[in-house]
Amino acid sequence: MSSWVQKGSSGRLLGRAYDLTALRELARLPQSTNRYLFRAAQSPCIPYRRVAMEVQKEAQRIMTLSVWKMYHSRMQRGGLRLHRSLQLSLIMRSARELYLSAKVEALDLEAPSPPARCPDPRLHPPREVEVPAACVPPDGEQPLPEPMDTQEEEEAPPRAAETETLVRCSPRPARVCRKRRSSSLSDGVDAGLVPSKKARLEEQEEAKDSSSEVPDCLPPPPAQAEGAFPNLARVLQRSFSGLLSRGPAASPTAPPARDAKPACRPADPMLSVLVRAVVAF
Amino acid sequence: MKCFSRYLPYIFRPPNTILSSSCHTEADIISTVEFNHTGELLATGDKGGRVVIFQREQESKNQVHRRGEYNVYSTFQSHEPEFDYLKSLEIEEKINKIRWLPQQNAAYFLLSTNDKTVKLWKVSERDKRPEGYNLKDEEGRLRDPATITTLRVPVLRPMDLMVEATPRRVFANAHTYHINSISVNSDYETYMSADDLRINLWNFEITNQSFNIVDIKPANMEELTEVITAAEFHPHHCNTFVYSSSKGTIRLCDMRASALCDRHTKFFEEPEDPSNRSFFSEIISSISDVKFSHSGRYIMTRDYLTVKVWDLNMENRPIETYQVHDYLRSKLCSLYENDCIFDKFECVWNGSDSVIMTGSYNNFFRMFDRNTKRDVTLEASRENSKPRAILKPRKVCVGGKRRKDEISVDSLDFSKKILHTAWHPSENIIAVAATNNLYIFQDKVN
Repeated sequence: MSSWVQKGSSGRLLGRAYDLTALRELARLPQSTNRYLFRAAQSPCIPYRRVAMEVQKEAQRIMTLSVWKMYHSRMQRGGLRLHRSLQLSLIMRSARELYLSAKVEALDLEAPSPPARCPDPRLHPPREVEVPAACVPPDGEQPLPEPMDTQEEEEAPPRAAETETLVRCSPRPARVCRKRRSSSLSDGVDAGLVPSKKARLEEQEEAKDSSSEVPDCLPPPPAQAEGAFPNLARVLQRSFSGLLSRGPAASPTAPPARDAKPACRPADPMLSVLVRAVVAF
Repeated sequence: MKCFSRYLPYIFRPPNTILSSSCHTEADIISTVEFNHTGELLATGDKGGRVVIFQREQESKNQVHRRGEYNVYSTFQSHEPEFDYLKSLEIEEKINKIRWLPQQNAAYFLLSTNDKTVKLWKVSERDKRPEGYNLKDEEGRLRDPATITTLRVPVLRPMDLMVEATPRRVFANAHTYHINSISVNSDYETYMSADDLRINLWNFEITNQSFNIVDIKPANMEELTEVITAAEFHPHHCNTFVYSSSKGTIRLCDMRASALCDRHTKFFEEPEDPSNRSFFSEIISSISDVKFSHSGRYIMTRDYLTVKVWDLNMENRPIETYQVHDYLRSKLCSLYENDCIFDKFECVWNGSDSVIMTGSYNNFFRMFDRNTKRDVTLEASRENSKPRAILKPRKVCVGGKRRKDEISVDSLDFSKKILHTAWHPSENIIAVAATNNLYIFQDKVN
């Protein structure tokens, strides 16, 4: 176990490093994602939600990179390569699943979960003590980079509703995708942001549908976290290994870049937006 | 591995290249290497659509040390860039594959293909020239009939050896997707060409028709999950062929079963090791090359990190798995960012099927002896290989203390990759293509 310390962006020490290999084993994430986990896990005070956010960012980065590669491959001599496009779309799908899973985990932690799901009520008192001590990275608990997450904090839909949103959006994406097309044409390389905006659109519509639920869902304290490292490890393992063990049959098939007409996939609003971004180029 | 203890490196470069290897043009990048059936000729194709054929020097008692050197025999432009007006796509002239036909007369025949068109080339020698025409003078100009007073019979006189290549057949317009493989059948009358979704069977004599024998294109392209990555005929059974997919599976088909071989006869797939599951598992399991052994009993497949040998009689797992560069497993994200994860490495058998060889990064290539289970990593580079010098085995340090001659993973040059290699059919001579340079190594002790 290495024992170096790293200074955060605020100039304060973030604590001791953990065994990177162990973390990597747990998460089975790409190397650069592991870097985020590594930094995040350096201090037990950094909440797991921060880790999930970092994973979301990384997944988004990979999605953006993949879309850029797809765009770039179209400009190559010889035209679009089917095999390459298929591989890129597989990566995009995996990144999307990772992104969604991390987002769901983050929402799950924010939402006031029932006691059965709550890890440990004993954490509440220690947490209140830890919060002032853990103001170490004050920006860690700040409003999150994506506007979508800010939106989620205000509304905090429960996890079930989140799933329902994805399903209920089925009649909507057809309309939304058509709207998205023009924006995706101009913002090709920023396609990574498009899913965020799309999700926010879903959340807004969801909020309209269930406006009565808003008062019930108070924004949870941002410092809700797993205090101990073993709990963090368990959550990571549960979320990501479950995600990765899901076979291709369970998830929608990868959309290849193709010579057929583009079509929206109602079950995957985010993916369909990505696909539109790809095909539009 | 005593047969690889010493090597004589010869460095060849494609003709018409005046640039050094550090600043080469992209057109000079070698894209395929292939020995012919006797090993006398070695053909290379490059990204500029050219084919360069090397011929082995005949042994001579006077110059024993020069035995077996390969010299340029012929160079010709096989494919030109084309434009598909219907799809507004440029068709690259890069030669994807070259396959030799067995020699049946004095001329040599080879197939070369780019993304869309396969061509049959005849390479023949001309060492005599007719002289003494009545109606034409020596330069070929017509003579004034009034000046002709005598009649003579033209005679053949020897001339400087000239090697000419002529395209005998052009097999075009049969593939919607990009051709990745061609394979000559053991009946020497047919061959197949494979693209991402279809495999076509051709007769050498017929250019305007081909039979489609495999078609994995789904009715709805959104349901596409895998593509064909390589295909090859069995070396002895003219009815059998295999094709590999991007999902890491190999299908063996028998053309006697049906006209359209969509249903495989055998299906080779290894269950995924859950401990190796990662974000990029799916794309690194894609098979980039499949080769039958000379005996026809085994097939060898190459995916991004491993080489596997399969027994045709066992479908559920390979009989041997060799790790080519497992130290890259933790670097897959970086390799994805710099596109290296999409590199398609090839693999080759030696003549006796006892050793297999494949390429890696940093101009390294690896050989695995199947009998002794020993392996060696060698490097193809100008700096490390003087003529007649012996190749030194290289080692990549994966962690901890780096020894003196080792190279660390982070120092590997991923722009120098060996994708294409070839092994002489009967002797221990190998050809290794490193970007735009061709290295030919020979075992000193034969």
